[in-house]
Amino acid sequence: MNIEKQSSRMFRGVGIGNGCACGVLRFWESQVIQAPVLPEASRGEDAETLRLQQALRVTGEHLHHLREKTARELGDAEAEIFEIHAMLLEDEDFLDGLAHRLHTGCTAEDAVRQTASTFGETLRGIGDAYLSARAKDIEDIAAQLLHALSEKGTERSESVFDGMPNGTEPYILVARDLTPSQTMGLEREHLLGFVTMEGSSNSHTAILARAMGLPALVGVGDLDAAMQGCEALLDAREGTLTVCPTSAQKHAFCERQGRESELAREHERYLRSLINKPAITCGGHRMLIYANVSGAEEALSAYRNGADGIGLLRSELLYLSSERLPTEEELYQSYRDVVDRMGGKRVVIRTLDVGADKQLSYLALPKEENPALGFRGIRVSLEERAIFKTQLRALLRAGAHGSISIMLPMVIGVSEVQRSRAVLEECKQELLREGIGCDERIELGVMIETPAAAVMSAELAAEVDFFSVGTNDLLQYTLAADRQNPRVAALCEENEEPVLRLIGYAAESIHRHGGWIGICGEMAADLSLTQRFVDMKIDELSVSVPYLLGVREKVTECK
Amino acid sequence: MKEFTYTVKDVNGMHARPAGKLATFAKRFSSEIRVKNGAREADGKRLLSLMALGALHGSVLTFSFVGADEEEACRELERFCIEAWGDGVAVNEY
Repeated sequence: MNIEKQSSRMFRGVGIGNGCACGVLRFWESQVIQAPVLPEASRGEDAETLRLQQALRVTGEHLHHLREKTARELGDAEAEIFEIHAMLLEDEDFLDGLAHRLHTGCTAEDAVRQTASTFGETLRGIGDAYLSARAKDIEDIAAQLLHALSEKGTERSESVFDGMPNGTEPYILVARDLTPSQTMGLEREHLLGFVTMEGSSNSHTAILARAMGLPALVGVGDLDAAMQGCEALLDAREGTLTVCPTSAQKHAFCERQGRESELAREHERYLRSLINKPAITCGGHRMLIYANVSGAEEALSAYRNGADGIGLLRSELLYLSSERLPTEEELYQSYRDVVDRMGGKRVVIRTLDVGADKQLSYLALPKEENPALGFRGIRVSLEERAIFKTQLRALLRAGAHGSISIMLPMVIGVSEVQRSRAVLEECKQELLREGIGCDERIELGVMIETPAAAVMSAELAAEVDFFSVGTNDLLQYTLAADRQNPRVAALCEENEEPVLRLIGYAAESIHRHGGWIGICGEMAADLSLTQRFVDMKIDELSVSVPYLLGVREKVTECK
Repeated sequence: MKEFTYTVKDVNGMHARPAGKLATFAKRFSSEIRVKNGAREADGKRLLSLMALGALHGSVLTFSFVGADEEEACRELERFCIEAWGDGVAVNEY
C-alpha cells in the first residue's frame, strides 16, 4: 500500500445521521452482479428449473435469517426490509417472468438477470425516487439468487458475501453501493461508518445506517480506489468526506467527535434494553407505561416498544373515514385487531368523541359558535342511543377476547355515567340473551378532561373503575385558554399548577375507592412532571409511541 | 362487479409495506381484483404490480372486483384501505 503524502481532498454526499468517524478507508468490490456474463449453456429446462427452485428456497431461508438477525439487533421496523424482499421473491409476476425465460431456453442465471433487469427498469421508469430505490431491492434479490446458484452458494454459510475487508484496524467502508443484505452482513466490530458512491437517503442503506447508529454518507460520486488505506474523516452532519486530512482538520474533528457519537449510541442501546422492563421508581412505585394509538398498526408498534397496554384508543378513526355509520361487526373487527395485537394487555378504548369541529359526514351535527363548549363527546352518545349501543355491543364482544376498558369522554357529572352504565347493561343483557360472548365484567371509566369532572371526582369515583386524565383539554378548560391560539398559548405552558392540583385531587378520590388513574394527555410525556405524577401515585402514563421508552427510563430514575 | 374508489392518504403513497399487505390481504378472496391509478392498472394480488402503479399521496385509486365473493371482497378491502393504510408517517419507512 503506497500512501504518498497527498493533499487533503473533500467529497460531498448526503449524510445519514449526525455522527462522524475518523479512520482508514477500505474499499470493497461487490463481485456478484458485476461479474462478466460468460456464455453458459442451458442444462435443459427441467434441470434449470430445479436449480432455480433450490436457489429460491435457499435465498428465502437466508432472508428469513437476516430478518431475525436484524429484528434482534436493530428492531422490527428495520427488519421489515427483508420481509419485503421475501415478498418480492414470492411475487407471481417475478416468478412468472423467471419461468417464462427458462421456458425459452435460458439458464437459471440468465433468467434471474433478465427478469430482475426488466422489473428494475419498470420501477425506475415511473420516475419516483422511492420506487427507483425499490429497483435496488430487485437487484439485491437477484444478487442473492445468483450467489445461491453459483458453486459457493450451494453450501450453507452465514456470511453470504466474500470480499469483505479483513483487519483489526478500525475503518470506514467504501463501496459503490450496499444492499440491505450486505449492510446487515457487515462485521461491525471495527466498522466506523460507511460511504457509498451511489445511493440516496431513500435507500435501505440509509435506513439501516440510522438504525445501527453508524454515520454514513451516500451518493458521493466516484471515489478512486487508489485512496485505499488513506485516512479519512467522515462527517455525516456536514455531509462531507475528507481524505488525507491535515493535522489541523483532524484535531478539530476528533475533539468534536469524541464524546458525541458514543454517548448517543450508548443511550440508544440502553433505551432498547428497557423494553419490557417494569417501570419501577427507586422508591418502589410501579407505573404502567401505556400508549396512545389510533389503530391496530400503531398498537403493534406500541407493543413492540414495550407498552404495558393501550391507555387511549381513539375510536373515531373508523367513524371519520367512512361514508356511513360503521356496523357493529366492523367495529367489533377493528377492536379485535387491536386487542389481538396487544397479547392480553389492557386496552382502554374511548367511546365516540366527535363534535361540530370533528364532524361525521353522516351525523350532520349543526354548526356551533363554540364547538369546544358544545354538543360533543358523551353528550352525543347519550342522545344518539342507537349509535352508542352499536359501539358498546362491539366493545363488549371484543372484550371477551382480551382486556378492554371502556372510557367515556367529556363527562361532567355522575348522571352521565349512570345513564351510560344503564345502556351498557342493556347491551350486555341483549348479548347474553342472544348467546353472543361478551365481557360481563368490562371496566368502565371516565376521562377527566373537564374541570367539573375533576371537582366532582369524589362522587365520580364511586361510579367508575378508573379515571384517565386528558390533560390537553383539561388545561384549556381550566385556564380558559386555547392552546392553538398563539396569543394565549404561552399561558398554557406557564400555568400547569392548577391542573396538577386537580389531577392530584382526582387521584386521591379514585384511590380511596380502590380504582386506578392514568394520564393520557401530553403532560404524560413531559419528563419534568414525571416525579410529580409519581408523588401523586398515578398508576399509569399513556404516551405516543416514540415516547414510550424515554418515559419508562425516566420513571426508573424517579424517587 | 363491485367497485370503490380510495384516495391515498399515506404521505408515502403506495410504498412496499402497504402494497405487500394489500396483496396478501387481497389473496384471501377468490374474486379477481384490479386496481387502477389513472391509465395504469394492476392486479391487486400482486406486489410488484401494485407498486408499479406509482400511486402517490392523493392518487385516486379505483378498486374493482369480479367473482363469487366480490361483495365481501369489496367491503373488506375498502375497510382495509381505510383502517390499515392510514396516513403513514413521513419518514423513510416502508
